[in-house]
Amino acid sequence: MNLRAIYTCVLVVPLGLLAAPAPQKSDPALQPAQRGNSQAQVQAGERVFAANCSRCHQAPMSLSPRITGTVIMHMRTRARLSREDEKLLLNFLAP
Amino acid sequence: MPHRTSLERLMPWSNTLQMPSLRQWTPYAHTALVWVFACMRLFAQATATEENHAGHVPIISGGAGYVHNVAGGAPVLEPQVDPVLLVAFGSHVLLESRTDFTGVFARENLTSGPFKGKVFTDVEYAQLDWLADTHAIVVGGRYLLPFGLFNERLGPLWIRNLQDPPFTASIGTRTTGAGDGLMLRGVAAQTPEMNLQYSAYFSVRSDVEQLGSARAAGGDASVFFPRLRFEIGGSGQAFLQDHHINNGAAYVSWQPLEASLDVKGEYDASYYGRGYWLEAAYKLDHASSHAAIQKAQFVGRIEQVFPQHGGGNGLPHVDSTRFDAGLNYYLKDNLRLVSSYGRNFNSQQNLNAWNAGITYRFTIPLWFGEER
Repeated sequence: MNLRAIYTCVLVVPLGLLAAPAPQKSDPALQPAQRGNSQAQVQAGERVFAANCSRCHQAPMSLSPRITGTVIMHMRTRARLSREDEKLLLNFLAP
Repeated sequence: MPHRTSLERLMPWSNTLQMPSLRQWTPYAHTALVWVFACMRLFAQATATEENHAGHVPIISGGAGYVHNVAGGAPVLEPQVDPVLLVAFGSHVLLESRTDFTGVFARENLTSGPFKGKVFTDVEYAQLDWLADTHAIVVGGRYLLPFGLFNERLGPLWIRNLQDPPFTASIGTRTTGAGDGLMLRGVAAQTPEMNLQYSAYFSVRSDVEQLGSARAAGGDASVFFPRLRFEIGGSGQAFLQDHHINNGAAYVSWQPLEASLDVKGEYDASYYGRGYWLEAAYKLDHASSHAAIQKAQFVGRIEQVFPQHGGGNGLPHVDSTRFDAGLNYYLKDNLRLVSSYGRNFNSQQNLNAWNAGITYRFTIPLWFGEER
C-alpha cells in the first residue's frame, strides 16, 4: 500500500464522521414533564443551582444548552457534586 | 540510495536543521485539521439524552481583566488572561486546563521612571477527570491543591471579591499552588440536609518549567448544609520535600438565603506561621428597587498573620494586620468594575494599598450546537 492510499484512508474516516447525520434528539418542544422531568425535579435542580453556584461566585444569568453538559461536568469536579445533583442541574438548565 | 530510517521516510526534513516548507506541511495540516473537527463533532454529539438537552460541546472559558495596583505609592499594572479549556469525552471524562498569562509592569524606580515588566505564563492546571460514580471523581495530571478556601475556589480574578489574596494564601499551596499526581474527590455522603465532601491527593516533585510542584500529600473535607447554605471544613497537608512540615486549615462559608451576603473565614497554621482572614461581601440586590444600585457590592476583609521561625515561604517576616474595603459594580453578570482600599500595619512600616480595575468572564463554544 503506497503513501497515497494510506493518506486517503486517514482522511476518509474523519470526513465520514463529519458527513454522518446528527443523532436524533428528543423533541425540544416537549415540556420537561412530558420527557419525564417532573416540575419537582426541575425545582430541585434550581435549588441545587442556587445553593452551589453562590458558594464561590455569582451565578451566570444564562447558559447555552449546547455547552451545559461540559460546564456542569467542570462544576461537578470543582464543587464536588454528586451524580444526582449533576442530573438535577442538567434537567433545570437544559430541560 | 542510502538507507533511510522510518523517521526519515515519514519526515524527510528530519535530518536537516531546516523546518519543512509550507508545501511539506500542507497534507499533514489538512489531515490534522479534519481529525480535530471530526473529534469535536463526536464530542458535541455525545450529548443529549432523553432526560435533557444538555450538550457537551468543547469550550474555552475563563477570565480576563486589568487591575491597576498602587502599594505604598508604587504603581503596578497587571493585565491578565486566564483561558480554561474544557473538552468532554462523553459524560464521564473531562479534560480541563487553565493557563495564566499575567503581565506585571512597574516603574523603573518604583515611583518614577518608565514602566517596565514582563508577562508571566503559568499552567495552573491540566488534568483529566474521570467522573467514576456518584461518590468518586478520579483526577490525574496537574491540579490545584485543595487547601482552604482560596487556592482552588477563589483564585480566578473574576471570582475573588478583593483582588489581593490573603496573607496566608501560601500556606498549604507551596510551591506553585498546583500538584502533579493523582487526586480522589467527591461526595462521601449526601442527604437533603447535608453533603459531606472530600479530596485526597498525592503530588510528586517536579522541577519542569511551567509544571513545577512539590512532593506533598494531603486532603480536604467539608460539610455543606444546602438549606442553610453554610459550609464548615478543614484541610491538612504533609509537605514532603526539603524541610518536612505539616500545614492545616479550618474554614467556614455562609451565603444566607435572605440576603445577597457572602461570608467566608479561614484559619491557617504552618511551621512558618499562622493567621486568619474574615471576609464579607454584600450585594445590594434586595436593598434597593433601583436596578443601578442593585448591581453594587460592598466588600470588607480583616486579616492577621503571626510568623514563626522567621516566617517567609510566602508569609511576611513580621506580625502583620491588614484591613481592606472594596466596592465592586456588576455591569453584567460576567463583567464588573472592581476597586478596593487596604491598609497594612506592621512593625516595619504601615502602607496603603489601592487597586481599581475591570474583570470579565468569557465562555466560547468551540463547536456548533442547538441554541434555544
